[in-house]
Amino acid sequence: MTAKIKEWPGTPLRDTDIKEKKVLSTEWHPNLKYAWDCGVGYGRYFAELKNGKIIGTKCEKCHRVLLPARAFCELCFRTVDEWVYLKDTGTVNTFSIAYTDVQANRIKEPQIPALIEIDGSGGVGIMHLLEEVDPKKVKIGMKVKAVWKPKAQREGAITDIKYWKPL
Amino acid sequence: MSPLEKIVQTTQTKSLQGDIPVYGQYTFGVAGERFFREIKDNARIMGATCKSCNLTYVPARLFCERCFNKLEDWVDVGKRGVVHTYTLSYLDLDENRLDKPVILAMVQLDGAYGGLVHRLGEVTPEKIRIGMPVEAVFKAKAEREGSILDIKYFKPC
Repeated sequence: MTAKIKEWPGTPLRDTDIKEKKVLSTEWHPNLKYAWDCGVGYGRYFAELKNGKIIGTKCEKCHRVLLPARAFCELCFRTVDEWVYLKDTGTVNTFSIAYTDVQANRIKEPQIPALIEIDGSGGVGIMHLLEEVDPKKVKIGMKVKAVWKPKAQREGAITDIKYWKPL
Repeated sequence: MSPLEKIVQTTQTKSLQGDIPVYGQYTFGVAGERFFREIKDNARIMGATCKSCNLTYVPARLFCERCFNKLEDWVDVGKRGVVHTYTLSYLDLDENRLDKPVILAMVQLDGAYGGLVHRLGEVTPEKIRIGMPVEAVFKAKAEREGSILDIKYFKPC
């Protein structure tokens, strides 16, 4: 409200008015789905995760590994030269201790998202979670190893790795 | 498979799939609320009369769209009307073929300007004519929930 306007025009409604059926309403639940085509690079990357392997691609010109695997090197604009399997061990490059979940609810046991540099990749990292570790003892430079889901439960997603634990 | 090799089998491609959880909730507004309340509670179809334009709008609304006067005279226009136009639909909303067509009609209520788009029932497609008098069939009071579908259909009368 302002000094001049004591009451806004219109008919105010609250959530509870609808929930308590004080006003009539109609609901619409559209069935919305999406499918994101992973392409060649990410496609094989996810397929190999299902096999319990981490795969990247290599650009010989730039002498570097691309992880997750991509079909083109974004530095020299060439098609990459080969596929390269990487270890499922790495080093914590940076991390955070989160006391809220993705819906912003408070949680007692914190989640520890970390950027993990994969061994043999020349310093390329993936974002993932650390577990089986005391939050106070997480250090940058800590060696970690992937904990995979059992093969039958894997579905070709980054969550096929459950978390990473100290080596 | 090299990175350059073409994918010929579509089963080798992969996509990530998900749902987008959104929904809409629509309230009918001041006039709509009253209009659907009358249908729900009293099984009455209401119109709003504009005296200066000599028109009764169905469904009832707040303002006359011709002279912009506020409409305060609500009247029960009754259950009867005539078929203004109709169509036979052999497809449902998901485009599945139907053996028996759904008959959709624009019903102009007696004495009213405008009308309701609704289903016709208790009639075969061959017998429908434009100008045919019809009458609203309401659901039982306990089943009515304040929706246009509280009217089951219009039947010949």
